[in-house]
Amino acid sequence: MKTVMEIREAGQFLLNRAPLRPEIGLILGSGLGTLADAIVEAVTVDYADIPHFPVPTVAGHAGKWVIGRLAGRGVAAMKGRFHRYEGYDGATIAFPVRVMKELGITTLLVTNAAGGVNPSFCPGDLMLIRDHLNLTFHNPLIGPNDDSLGARFPDMSEAYSRRLGRIAVRAADALGIALREGVYAAMIGPSYETPAEIRMLRKLGADAVGMSTVPEVIVARHAGLEVLGISCITNMAAGILDQPLSHAEVMETGERVQQTFRKLILGILEELGKEGKADGE
Amino acid sequence: MENDLQLLKEAASAVRARLGGREPAIGLILGSGLGELAEQIGDAAAIDYGDIPRFPVSTVPGHAGRFVAGTLEGKAVIVMQGRFHYYEGYPMRVVAWPVYVMKLLGVRSLIVTNAAGGLNRSYRPGDLMLIADHLNLTGANPLVGPNFEELGIRFPDMSEAYSRRLRGLAHRAAAQLAEEGEETLRLQEGVYCGISGPSYMTPAELTMLAGLGGDAVGMSTVGEVIAARHAGLEVLGISCITDRAVGEELEPLTHEQVMEAAERAKPKFAALVRAILKRMEL
Repeated sequence: MKTVMEIREAGQFLLNRAPLRPEIGLILGSGLGTLADAIVEAVTVDYADIPHFPVPTVAGHAGKWVIGRLAGRGVAAMKGRFHRYEGYDGATIAFPVRVMKELGITTLLVTNAAGGVNPSFCPGDLMLIRDHLNLTFHNPLIGPNDDSLGARFPDMSEAYSRRLGRIAVRAADALGIALREGVYAAMIGPSYETPAEIRMLRKLGADAVGMSTVPEVIVARHAGLEVLGISCITNMAAGILDQPLSHAEVMETGERVQQTFRKLILGILEELGKEGKADGE
Repeated sequence: MENDLQLLKEAASAVRARLGGREPAIGLILGSGLGELAEQIGDAAAIDYGDIPRFPVSTVPGHAGRFVAGTLEGKAVIVMQGRFHYYEGYPMRVVAWPVYVMKLLGVRSLIVTNAAGGLNRSYRPGDLMLIADHLNLTGANPLVGPNFEELGIRFPDMSEAYSRRLRGLAHRAAAQLAEEGEETLRLQEGVYCGISGPSYMTPAELTMLAGLGGDAVGMSTVGEVIAARHAGLEVLGISCITDRAVGEELEPLTHEQVMEAAERAKPKFAALVRAILKRMEL
């Protein structure tokens, strides 16, 4: 179990190198990592250099923090994340989000590549995550609870902030980006789902399916962060089209929508800034 | 965990050393009650799991615990007589181990059988079901952990886990058996739900599984099939429906009842598997 001391040490290590104190955390999913290139006054820190920090094993997940300014806001972006299917336990997956909290971050913007379960979706669509189904059979908070990190039984009735969702919709409208909205179902992976599983997910109310995000969001809510989630629909899930799935397709679609995705995130950050000022920040 | 691949290779070498030059192309994993098919293998060489370095040992009655390689219906086969279940406490990657051992021995197709409860109201005990697809509701996946590219890719496709080609072949084999006078064989095709067990499902859970699209439910197979697809094997799955698992009509069930039903179905199940093997190309 990662201790509070380890979270502090990792956080302090990052803050000592950070050009500013970030307020927004970004987790960038498969193929969406280049958004980090738009960060200015940026400092990059490899996970491997950070005390107690785990290192990811998947191609397309680089494994570094980029801290700096994006659309005028102080951000800390994670390029590369940790997945249950890599064999990491809940505490390890929780660690980076707790480090974000330690950095002073109050808002988490989490992104992923997902399979489209809703048949009206198309590859390349962006989807605002309204809610999730945790079908991983795991919860990152299993184990003793450290009350200084969060409550034993965190509420999940609004895991994905309605306020941030409205801001995202406003930003998308202003940019003319068609933003879908739906429920993200998380499975363990790493094998893709079977067609029967996808039909099951549809019955259960899922619009998209993936192998990440849910544990991070549970930890973020535990830590009291406000969360916005956006999925990039990189492929249609198994059985919807009569063709096999491949990670290459996921990465290609990710690449193809990078520009739109980047515009949307920047638009959201700008809207967030306006809202902050309206609140008298 | 890092040296899993090395251990697998050592296990495969140990098995190969005992095969006396036999080169199995088709692997069979035989579930509850069907193990005796292994006794019908010609020119057989048997290797107890206990003699294979680092290999797990089966703990369930009715699962013998050895590989038998030889010839069945003219095909070079290797049969797992006895398998490993998640509910025995093995990690799912261990459950899937023997599949990779078979792959390393040169196996290209896998026939996997099991005993299952019938969720579908139209199924009767004694029916056989070709597995069209599965729901992995075990909560585990054998591929969790570092990926060995040498064995397969990180994110394997599961859009056709159970080969359409082999299902078509199995239907034709069943039709021919019927023509030859096998009157009791009812061959269904449906979705197999893999659950962890070992407790049987509650009526509410069975109703849920049926609602999720399941036609049969059991405690094996999905882990092995995921690994087989990861390893690029073509898979055929057949369930023997041993009991009615309809939530609203559920009666108490014991493992003995399941074994009895499997026992009764055994002759036609064995006949079907043999007829399928006969038709398989290598």
